[in-house]
Amino acid sequence: MKRVRVRAIAPVAAALCLAAAATACSSSNGGTSASGDKAGASTAPSAADTAAANTPAATSSSSDDAKPVTLTFWGTYGNGGNKAQTDVLSGTIIPAFEKAHPNITIKYVDIPYDSLLQKLETSAAGGELPDLIRSDINWVPKFAALGVFAQLDGKMPDFDKLSADTYPGSLATTKWQGHYYGLPLDTNTRVMISNAQALSSAGITAPPSTFDDLKADAPLLKAKKISVFADKGLQGWTLLPWIWSGGGEIANADLTKATGYLNSPQNVATLQMLVGMYKAGEIPNLLIGNTGATSTQDGLPKGNYATILDGPWMHDIWAAQYPKFQPTYSPVPSGPGGSISVVGGEDIVMTKASKNPDAAEQFIAFTQTADYQIAMAKTGQMSVVKSLDDQEAAAVPYFAPYIKQLQTAKPRPAVPEAPKIDTVLQDDLTPAFQGKTSVQAALDKAAKDIDPLLTATK
Amino acid sequence: MPLTATVAHARDARGRRAGVGPATHAGPTRRRRPRVRFTPYLFIAPGFALFALLIAYPMVRAFQMSFYDWQIVQGAASKFTGLDNYVKAYHDPIFWRALVNSGAYMALTVPAQVALGLAVAMLLKAKAPGRALFRALFYLPVVTSWVVVSLLFQYLFADSGLVNYGLHDVLHITAHNTSWLSGRWTALFAIAALGTWKGIGWSMMIFLAALQAVPRELEESAAVDGANTWRRFRAVTLPAIWPAMVFVTVMLVIGGFNVFISVLLMTGGGPADQTQVLLTYMYKQAFTNLDFGYGSAIAIVLTALVFVLSVVQMRIMRRTFDDGVAP
Amino acid sequence: MTTASVARVRVAVPRYVVLIVGAAIMVIPFLYMLSTSFKAQQYVLTTPPQFIPHPVTASNYTAAWQSNHFGRYFLNSVVVAVVSTALSLLLSSMMAFGFARFRFAGRELLFRLLLLGLMIPAMMLIIPQFVLAKYLGLLDSYGGLVVFYVGSSLALNTFLLRGFFESIPMELEQAMEIDGARAVTRYFRLILPLSKPVLATATIFTFLASWDEFAWALTIINSPEKRTLPLAIQLFQGQNQTLWGLVFAASAIAVIPVLVIFLIFQRYFVQGLTAGALKG
Repeated sequence: MKRVRVRAIAPVAAALCLAAAATACSSSNGGTSASGDKAGASTAPSAADTAAANTPAATSSSSDDAKPVTLTFWGTYGNGGNKAQTDVLSGTIIPAFEKAHPNITIKYVDIPYDSLLQKLETSAAGGELPDLIRSDINWVPKFAALGVFAQLDGKMPDFDKLSADTYPGSLATTKWQGHYYGLPLDTNTRVMISNAQALSSAGITAPPSTFDDLKADAPLLKAKKISVFADKGLQGWTLLPWIWSGGGEIANADLTKATGYLNSPQNVATLQMLVGMYKAGEIPNLLIGNTGATSTQDGLPKGNYATILDGPWMHDIWAAQYPKFQPTYSPVPSGPGGSISVVGGEDIVMTKASKNPDAAEQFIAFTQTADYQIAMAKTGQMSVVKSLDDQEAAAVPYFAPYIKQLQTAKPRPAVPEAPKIDTVLQDDLTPAFQGKTSVQAALDKAAKDIDPLLTATK
Repeated sequence: MPLTATVAHARDARGRRAGVGPATHAGPTRRRRPRVRFTPYLFIAPGFALFALLIAYPMVRAFQMSFYDWQIVQGAASKFTGLDNYVKAYHDPIFWRALVNSGAYMALTVPAQVALGLAVAMLLKAKAPGRALFRALFYLPVVTSWVVVSLLFQYLFADSGLVNYGLHDVLHITAHNTSWLSGRWTALFAIAALGTWKGIGWSMMIFLAALQAVPRELEESAAVDGANTWRRFRAVTLPAIWPAMVFVTVMLVIGGFNVFISVLLMTGGGPADQTQVLLTYMYKQAFTNLDFGYGSAIAIVLTALVFVLSVVQMRIMRRTFDDGVAP
Repeated sequence: MTTASVARVRVAVPRYVVLIVGAAIMVIPFLYMLSTSFKAQQYVLTTPPQFIPHPVTASNYTAAWQSNHFGRYFLNSVVVAVVSTALSLLLSSMMAFGFARFRFAGRELLFRLLLLGLMIPAMMLIIPQFVLAKYLGLLDSYGGLVVFYVGSSLALNTFLLRGFFESIPMELEQAMEIDGARAVTRYFRLILPLSKPVLATATIFTFLASWDEFAWALTIINSPEKRTLPLAIQLFQGQNQTLWGLVFAASAIAVIPVLVIFLIFQRYFVQGLTAGALKG
């Protein structure tokens, strides 16, 4: 009997020893945390902290200028093998900051863009957040409402001065219930990009600059088997430039009500224009989300599509993939509301859980300087600072049409449930394009479904 | 000489047929009982302890999450909502659509993978030149990353992709290009094609291992007895690999309901939530809409469904060869 | 030619035709991936499809390998996968033996619990597991990866192995028992050697699962130097566009170890391991 016990225990003991060793190896790495630093006063939540502890605000007073501090900064700059951006960041920008602030070290961690939201959520749930995040603008209200991002106005020195110098549309993306939870870091917008050859093959000499131009050009291009316009999906990013240029709105100024705004007569007219062209075969079914249709990225250079709406990143993408293609840039076609586009980009935020809010704020202030903005602009990230417009246009000439469009561009509704609003738009408006309901009915339903989402806090 | 006699040779001294069934028949002698009491627990304990800590405990927590309007931020109070999340699922048409889609995917992929995997394993079990190469080639899809193959299949089934090119331009079977990924059932077919293609090598592997345990003498004596290939297969091979068959079918059903990445990357669940499957919908609710309570509820429903299905499957399948006589 | 060899050829030819056609279908998408990995960005995923890259370039491979610490991530994945596989095989074969060869109170209940663990979508377990890992001090560590990979693979492997252990004839074990062998001896000397094919299968699968795992690695790994390969490969995907040639090249490199493991272990699929024992 004893022999059995000993023999059986051996593998068990071996396994347990291995597991224990594995645990010991890892905890000797220093009570890992997202801040990841092993130096100095910025204490990372150690293994001893139980999951019950929430924000370790107690030690914030330790973030003195005198004590060495390491800040962790999560971003997506290096995604896609993009060495240009990470090289500028680690070679020029961060050293410049660290030189000016000798006690602060910045540790930048690259996260895949498609997974960043998920990682933020799991990290928030586990209480393992970094100090700084380059956050998509859509996420800021959501995480602000959850108490994950820290409020900056009233707390950060110079906030008023810095925020006044950013594009209003970009700044609005950081606002939640009257306070600001970040500053814009980089921005972008959509302009009309067209294929001059495709247009001229139908006898059109300039890209459509108004809604009427678009409607007139459509049948001419269809005769040549070219779509006048193509875009993917019916979410806000696609739809709102049309809605705003058409003179309509998605909701009221306070973002509390969509009914009466989304289903306004102007929007019905605008959407009817798009639906008409779709049904006539002048806009491809990529619009309702067919992932099998040719993408705008390929369709425009190849001449399947005459015009698309897209952002500044396409310049480098086409240079690599379709070197012979010469895109033509023009403003969003203007309707009764003018030529208004939609704002995209990223904001820089500080987490409430950060142990070094003062140091983090210093870095955030640094991101608004020319050293940061213009250096990044040269790698394809448009600047958010109005006073740097001329410098930016001089440094990166192909930004010019975008800078102009940004002056009037507006942000999507900055509410926590923003992703759900996109889903509603897709789900409720697709039947109108498929001819299953009328445009008015579709917009009425969408407005009704969006009303509760605007005021929901999550 | 009837086949049953051949098979009967394989029965052991206690009348139990070798190769089938658990060791549950005619129990051990009284002599063994005291020793049996501790040994199994010693063998099971380390692994099970790890499982209990790392899987079972989180499962309980996930189950718990489904009864709350769960807030992700630590320290935030979550409101207890009881069965609300489940009621929400019941009334959610997209949830039911996702359920049907998952089921359809499973029905499309499981029989194909079982039949084709077994067929290939049969062809590759005997020693023959190039056997290792063929095995590797059939296994290749299994090891290729989901991201890469989902993209490739999206490219294949695109409106102007290879499949349409083949069907329309080369073989002239279809009148015009099918927009595979824009319709619910055509998209599911494309996704199922991917799943089947990727899974055949997996079931092939399991069947290969199982086929090694079939005593060659049995097959040979059956052949000598005049049985043709099909009868040999039914009477000798199939019963011998039955546990593997049970395993493969159960696992493929579980896997079918758990399809995720391929749908996410090929159609994103679209257009307009037409091709949502349970897992993509769960992910959307939990990670995109930050509704973890609802996401958990969907996951629990899926788990319960799959569990019931598996238990039923195993009961039925285990019994098929248990009643002493070859079918 | 004799009748027998004619008959053999008659069987062999259609067999090979079927195998070749089947293998071709299996392999063509992979070949296309390989071919794309040798193309420059502008020729990637064109229509009509271009099977032979022209012009050919190996720049994607050099770019992938020379990108930040790719070799390091490769090594990380190897270590984690090997350790996880070894541990998982050990623990699950022990459990499978216990379930297969003994009757004891709660056996089916425990087994069903194991199966339940197999069926719950792993994505929903991530948050409780993350909090647990933090509590155990396993965050941002290889140990955290290994421990959880082992835990997640136990159910599948035990399920697989139990079925096979049960099909080993009882009389072989009884013979050993009568000779006085304890359970552990039977386990090491009889069951494991006879189960080489299924153990080889389990090794191949567990290695693959650990090698390809992404979601958990994304969740707990924060230090760039501890990244595993799937994470590194996803970083090749951009926010607005992806250089698919680069991703395919990196994926092709990543496939190599898995294929090596496969080729090593597939030779254990040898028929007749139990046959000789039966006769004797």
